[in-house]
Amino acid sequence: MQFTLVVYGAPHASEGANTALRFARAVLASGHGIYRVFFYGDGVHNGSALVAPPQDEQDLLSQWQDLKIAHNLDLTLCIAAAQRRGVLNDSEASRLEKPSGNMADGFELAGLGQLAEAAAVSDRIVTFGS
Amino acid sequence: MAQEKTLLAMCRHAPYGHTIAREGLEAVLACAAMDQVPEVLFINDGVLQLLEQNPKTIGEKNLRRNLQALPMFGVETLHVCRRSLEERGISLDNIDVPGAALALVDNPGPYIAGFDQVLSF
Repeated sequence: MQFTLVVYGAPHASEGANTALRFARAVLASGHGIYRVFFYGDGVHNGSALVAPPQDEQDLLSQWQDLKIAHNLDLTLCIAAAQRRGVLNDSEASRLEKPSGNMADGFELAGLGQLAEAAAVSDRIVTFGS
Repeated sequence: MAQEKTLLAMCRHAPYGHTIAREGLEAVLACAAMDQVPEVLFINDGVLQLLEQNPKTIGEKNLRRNLQALPMFGVETLHVCRRSLEERGISLDNIDVPGAALALVDNPGPYIAGFDQVLSF
């Protein structure tokens, strides 16, 4: 079965971000596939390279990145939500005349059409946060 | 892309407390523009999105513009949870979305379960 995860929770603020990550692992361990993880709303902060949790707290960003490498996950940040919240890749930062990009490796910026497309082709959509 | 799956978008949040209300309607419009036209259910505090608003006083853009765009994108009927309206003392007379018909949903559970996909905002 192909799942799409929609993540609204910001890392280290909403448990939804953490739950999404653990759910993703469980889905893959059960032999199912993940078509896309779509980060929307405050969830786009999961794709910020600047998140710096204390050492005794888990690092969600590196866990998403590890999972992406292991399973070739599609980690997509909604571009409109990301721009509102200051998560930009280098080319967007340059285009919008901001001092720097901060999007983490392994993530992509894309439009809401990617959510619509994922809804069309996935068997299940599961939402995390809010 | 042909629409093979039925899609429901649930709008559950009050219009200005959190951006999810605005971002939800934006996602609905994006899906509709991609020929994945969802049915839309306003439920819980989401029914407050249907009321007239004057958000200029708090420096926010009016969400009604997104709402009124729905019929133009093929979402011609807005489904509304009856109990959510009653709990908040809202009558249908208070609701007017030009171009859109309103349909009350008495039993949201079976209604929601009838869709292939559910997006929750």
